[in-house]
Amino acid sequence: MLEVRDLRKEFKGVVAVDGVSFRVAAGGSLAVVGESGSGKTTCARIVTGLTKATSGTVVLNGSVQMVFQDPYQSLDRRQTVRGCLAEVLAHHRKDRSRIGELLDLVGLDRALGEALPRHLSGGQRQRVAIARALAAEPRLLVLDEAVAALDVSIQAQILNLLVDARAATGVAYLFITHDLSVVRHVCEDVVVMSRGRVVEAGPVERVLHRPDHEYTRRLVASVPRPGWVPSRAVSRG
Amino acid sequence: MTLLEFENLRVSLGDRPILRNVTLSVAAGEAVGLVGESGSGKSMTVRSVVRLLPEGAAVTGAVRFEGADIASLGAAGLRRMRSRDVAMVFQDPRAVVNPVRTVGDFLTEVLRDQGVNRADALRKAAGSLSEVGVDDASRRLAQRPYELSGGLLQRVVIAAALLTEPKLILADEPTTALDVTTQEEVVAILDEQRRRRSVALMFITHDLELAAAVCDRIAVMYAGEIVEILPADRLHTEARHPYTRALLGSRPGTVPPGQRLRTVPGVPQSALTAPPGCVFADRCPHAEDRCRDTRPAFRGSAACHLLEEVR
Ligand SMILES: Nc1ncnc2c1ncn2[C@@H]1O[C@H](COP(=O)(O)OP(=O)(O)OP(=O)(O)O)[C@@H](O)[C@H]1O
Ligand SMILES: Nc1ncnc2c1ncn2[C@@H]1O[C@H](COP(=O)(O)OP(=O)(O)OP(=O)(O)O)[C@@H](O)[C@H]1O
Ligand SMILES: [Mg+2]
Ligand SMILES: [Mg+2]
Repeated sequence: MLEVRDLRKEFKGVVAVDGVSFRVAAGGSLAVVGESGSGKTTCARIVTGLTKATSGTVVLNGSVQMVFQDPYQSLDRRQTVRGCLAEVLAHHRKDRSRIGELLDLVGLDRALGEALPRHLSGGQRQRVAIARALAAEPRLLVLDEAVAALDVSIQAQILNLLVDARAATGVAYLFITHDLSVVRHVCEDVVVMSRGRVVEAGPVERVLHRPDHEYTRRLVASVPRPGWVPSRAVSRG
Repeated sequence: MTLLEFENLRVSLGDRPILRNVTLSVAAGEAVGLVGESGSGKSMTVRSVVRLLPEGAAVTGAVRFEGADIASLGAAGLRRMRSRDVAMVFQDPRAVVNPVRTVGDFLTEVLRDQGVNRADALRKAAGSLSEVGVDDASRRLAQRPYELSGGLLQRVVIAAALLTEPKLILADEPTTALDVTTQEEVVAILDEQRRRRSVALMFITHDLELAAAVCDRIAVMYAGEIVEILPADRLHTEARHPYTRALLGSRPGTVPPGQRLRTVPGVPQSALTAPPGCVFADRCPHAEDRCRDTRPAFRGSAACHLLEEVR
């Protein structure tokens, strides 16, 4: 479905992505985790064609949609929720009557259909962005921190929905997230990034339970859990 | 000693109720977590403390800071409170920091406004940066926001929040955009500062484990109301409200991968379509007639008619 080879991206001479390679099979689900600033979003933007790589190749077979980390900037601020979905459905020659169904799928009160983005809470906007991406029925869906701003109950509903959609239609996911329990739940393989590079990759089970790389070990150790006491200076080193 | 008090706070926009009856107090030096439904009014609750509500918001009830109703503060009092007593940290640091000015300008702005001279302000700013674990302060002070990763920039925002030695920090999902190792460091810093300077904290998050680790008490919100408040270390064992229990039960990790996550049946509702009775009644697995008809009052730790029945 997607093959990324030796991707490199420089911003004014500063290297943000350095020799990154990974692949997503048709109907597969790959997680990308890692440090803030390690180049995850940059890779996603290159895959979806929004940013040009300095070098490297991207081979993509089929349509792609992206749910952005900050949905506020990707939603048209003058367009209502309903208007936004209607536009995408029309563009992909799908029936407008699906709007209500899409709102239900992502757990948005239908009464919010007439609201503008600035009238919505953070998580409500996030759900509009997810509904919009699903409306286009892509073959690959890139989700950049798409469920982080949701409460765990709505997050559960959306994760179930993503699992169902994959089983029913074979859509593939590139799932960027900071939440390792989400990774365990919806992904088969994972790529761990640090400072622009892939430091570890493999099946989720193996990587998260028996990490080889020091950075992955620190990542796993920083997950909040009962009895956990946050300590300083864990992220340095 | 009570520092901050919400008493029957109601906020509405036109005919839409946003907050329906928020009553909560925060003691000096205490950390209170706000968790719960997306759209339930967590951000509005903390914003009401500094009167950063959408235009046209109608407010009844009271928010008192050090005993004074903030509605009675004039423009000068409000400015003073915002720049001195209360600091805010939001999810996205880039939305707060002026992108074209340097980190040093950002950090010294408030101090300069307070009449501190430039050299002293810069010295304090550098000290504050190293307190939050940002090394090489002199170089950082000269940099601009786009040259810093999200995690570094959020630490700058926290350094700015601490500079004015506030009595209260309002943190609205301060670590949602950060990786877990950076998150650990950021919350450890908040925790340390809170203990050292006895700063109170209101901490919004969707991560229940994180809330439990960072806070003394946790308030759970649903559709514009606080439905349960309990000590953080008893979140898992003593949660009684059916919504809180549903939340705890829907975290990924509570079921093996491959199995369906448990969700709350029905469509989440914003406060605007909440029924006359309990806000959670139409989605609650235990609801009875009285739940749909009569609004449950807060008893002990939760607002629920069925505290005795639901085990
Ligand atoms: N337009 C840009 N100009 C200059 N530098 C940039 C630009 N976009 C990204 N960068 C830099 O590239 C690096 C990678 O950024 P990116 O947003 O891809 O990280 P990320 O892994 O998505 O981080 P996060 O987890 O915080 O979202 C960072 O150091 C960032 O500052
Ligand atoms: N500017 C606005 N105008 C009208 N309604 C608004 C505005 N901002 C928020 N709302 C509504 O107020 C309610 C409470 O929003 P708030 O942002 O406090 O939710 P929240 O609990 O912080 O949610 P999240 O977890 O998604 O951030 C939501 O239903 C939202 O739609
Ligand atoms: Mg990113
Ligand atoms: Mg919010």
